[in-house]
Amino acid sequence: MNKKAGPMFYVFLVVFVFLVMFPFLWMLASSIKPLSELFGDKAFNPFTSNPTLQNYVSVFVDYPFMRYLWNSTVVATITTVYTVLVASFAAYAIARLNFKGKPIILGVVLSVSMFPQVATISPIYMFLKNLGLTNSYLGLIIPYTTITLPLSIWLLVTFFRKIPFDLEEAARIDGATLWQTYWKVIMPLAVPGIFTTAILVFIAAWNEFLFALTINTADKFKTVPVGIALFQGQFTIPWGEISAATVVVTVPLVIMVLIFQRRIVSGLTSGSVKE
Amino acid sequence: MQTEIDPNEPIKVDKQPRKKKKNDAVVGYLLVAPALILILAISIWPVIQSFYFSLFDLQLNEPTKSEVHLDYQIDLDRYLQNFPFLVGAIDSEINKGNSSEELTAIKSTLENLDAGIQEKPEAQENYDTINEKLDNFENIPSDMKYIEIDESVAEDFTTSVKEINDDLKTINENGDLEQGDKIVGLSSALTEIVVEPNFIGLDHYKENLTDQRMWRSLWNTSVFTFISVLAELILGLAIALLINKAFLGRGLIRASILIPWAIPTAVAALMWKFLYDGQNGIVAKLFEDFGLIDRMAMLLTTDTGAMFSVIFADVWKTTPYMALLLLAGLQTIPSSLYEAASIDGANKWKQFVTITVPLLKSSLLVALLFRTLDAFRVFDLVYVLTGGGPANSTETISMLAYTLMFKQTNFGEGSAISVVVFICVAIISGIFIKLLGSELIKDGSGK
Repeated sequence: MNKKAGPMFYVFLVVFVFLVMFPFLWMLASSIKPLSELFGDKAFNPFTSNPTLQNYVSVFVDYPFMRYLWNSTVVATITTVYTVLVASFAAYAIARLNFKGKPIILGVVLSVSMFPQVATISPIYMFLKNLGLTNSYLGLIIPYTTITLPLSIWLLVTFFRKIPFDLEEAARIDGATLWQTYWKVIMPLAVPGIFTTAILVFIAAWNEFLFALTINTADKFKTVPVGIALFQGQFTIPWGEISAATVVVTVPLVIMVLIFQRRIVSGLTSGSVKE
Repeated sequence: MQTEIDPNEPIKVDKQPRKKKKNDAVVGYLLVAPALILILAISIWPVIQSFYFSLFDLQLNEPTKSEVHLDYQIDLDRYLQNFPFLVGAIDSEINKGNSSEELTAIKSTLENLDAGIQEKPEAQENYDTINEKLDNFENIPSDMKYIEIDESVAEDFTTSVKEINDDLKTINENGDLEQGDKIVGLSSALTEIVVEPNFIGLDHYKENLTDQRMWRSLWNTSVFTFISVLAELILGLAIALLINKAFLGRGLIRASILIPWAIPTAVAALMWKFLYDGQNGIVAKLFEDFGLIDRMAMLLTTDTGAMFSVIFADVWKTTPYMALLLLAGLQTIPSSLYEAASIDGANKWKQFVTITVPLLKSSLLVALLFRTLDAFRVFDLVYVLTGGGPANSTETISMLAYTLMFKQTNFGEGSAISVVVFICVAIISGIFIKLLGSELIKDGSGK
């Protein structure tokens, strides 16, 4: 941290950022090309002289892309709200209360977060199919618990532990009940941590692919990742539309990441670094 | 709340915290319970069930094998949709005097079989309920559909029904019957209603352990995991070391690093598919221009090309994430250590080996653990980018499990593969956790 950055360093940074962002920039450039310039010699030309929004129009008119966006939003939002709620209770207890078996519980949570999704998919699929829940929002929200619940418990425990214990003790000596301590003392202090967890859970649920691919096969219930991936037909791949759809999905994410980067980084690194 | 402290009763003061402690424990368990129940029901139970399924010949598109059956059973639903109509049709032929002698004999055999099925009282009950529901065109609940029968009854039923079916075919060929085809059709449907137990023990595992495709997919997964995680580690560490200093625009760098991590893998895979395209892909073109490949098409149409493409895309997507984790680790190392070392005359390399590496060890191992496990279960990247091709050269073990289960509807075998994935993941995490010690779980709990 003590070293000063020289001019060469900034050159390196620019090159690095350009390399990381190159695929997006190329998709952006391709998305405004007319069909004829996506193939042949002009395909390698980054700039087009005839920019068009045709691809963007097509994404929303010829494909149920709006529907995919809506489905993803519904599934990811409900998953986030309910897992973070359930996880916050558990994490509070693990981080703050005294009872036996906490290391075992944390061990279970950690091992479950390492489970490969493919190892749970056949029973979950059969279960949802027998209940008639395939092709429904609930059909995705239920299995997403496998991914999101251990993640959020793990993150929240770390955040809850960082809140000074003195405050809580003071509140309880003053006669506050456990419930009051939780809502009035801990919660307000935990809001940043809970918010960070919610962002990470939302991204995880939004990006999930395997369950979404197998459980919701009807167009009406497909999520964005699956919807875009299945744009490709049997013989032709509509690259123009795919570029446009990619841009549509990425731009909100870029904005979100720019706004919340500090929180996301603190969430990502909280489990792995001792502070 | 008022607390009166009576100096004559010092025990009371002592008692209260203990009571509180006990109360704490109860509340603690209550708060943890919902999360634990969900984890148990939605994560742990399915893994156990996956193993259970893997012991059966479970095939979703075959009605008699679409569920787990330990005993001989009869599919009452299908039975009752055929049997009464068959008897009815035979009756009407008998009344018309068509081959009445043979048909009467067949009818009485059928009625005997029917009585055999209804013998047990609970079977009788289900039989009547289902009959009623069918009359009302209602759906049959799946737990009522099957009734258990003894093995002898089942075998008897199977052979008799087969004979009847053959007899009816001959009678029909003689041209005596008015509704011959219908009768033969109904009777042959009866041959498919006995459900045999589909328990096969460890056969799926035996088959898979000698199956080249399984080993190849395991090999592909290992190659992918090893190379991509190694590349990500080296590049990630290099980037983390380079940007571990004060500079303008840290936020911008951090955001640009997070973007590849944040976009859905499926979308990233699709982008790379476009960039790698054999005719219009800019990355393929650049590689060709730089002489890395002979023809643009080689990237996605040759074995090595495809594996390289998948690894390259993964490295692009996750190196920044790795760099971020390692950077966070680096920032916890106090700079005074480096200052002291440089005063003592240690050069940069020596500082790296003696200060950075040991102090970074636990963040490094944690990052490696999560990346390795993530890479080992890779599915969406491969599914979208190469579809496992060309000629299964990039098929990973998760892809194989998916293909078996959802393309070939062979759930038993697919579950066996997913159990293999699970065991591999358990071994990998076991090794890492051994290296890490109990640091992972203990982390912070002692504070």
